Amino acid sequence: MDDDQSAEETAFVVEEVSGIVKESLEGVIGRSSYEHKRVSQWTSSVVEQCLAQLSKLGKPFKYIVTCIIMQKNGAGLQSASSCFWDTTTDGSCTVRWENKHLYCIVSVFGLAI
Amino acid sequence: MEEYHSGDEVSFNPDEASNVVKECIEGIIGGVDYSQNKVNQWTASIVEHSLTQLVKQGKPFKYIVNCAVMQKSGAGLHTANSCYWDTTTDGSCTVRWENRTMYCVVSVFAVAIAL
Repeated sequence: MDDDQSAEETAFVVEEVSGIVKESLEGVIGRSSYEHKRVSQWTSSVVEQCLAQLSKLGKPFKYIVTCIIMQKNGAGLQSASSCFWDTTTDGSCTVRWENKHLYCIVSVFGLAI
Repeated sequence: MEEYHSGDEVSFNPDEASNVVKECIEGIIGGVDYSQNKVNQWTASIVEHSLTQLVKQGKPFKYIVNCAVMQKSGAGLHTANSCYWDTTTDGSCTVRWENRTMYCVVSVFAVAIAL
């Protein structure tokens, strides 16, 4: 039983991370419409907030958080990632979020130390 | 004598990675126009190809390669990334590329493996 607990404490838990990202997006962008002047602040705030919450989890991981915000205007956007890591300990989670005016894709990669 | 000493610190070389990625992008979407049918194959090929070339360099790193391709249609696009790692050994590089009909942004993140 102790083994299971310690395994959970050191694993990359997708649901937990996904929850952190969604809260951050709702808090920073919420229902705002796409504004060219504010978008760079939003992307920075989203990644910084996510990173702060992730490091508070206190797990032995290095993290990379990326955020893409795109105006809804009919353009096509495709994003892909490929990772060379230790598949037993490392993990990632991608959250696709949108409101009436913009799309947002946030990816979190966690690499075990 | 060129022996790899585990005590030496190897740090990420962003310029080298940047060149590797540019060649991969040119090779895959160099002269083509945006096509909704093919774009998912392109992004997958770009990330796999770039990763293979980076791993061939034989350095003690884990890699993450991320690629976004967007049609040119006047929409605004913003990207940001933030990293919690060892700043002495780990690093990243981002390549922005475009042609007449699309933009391509590729980011490479390299995290040192403890030996």
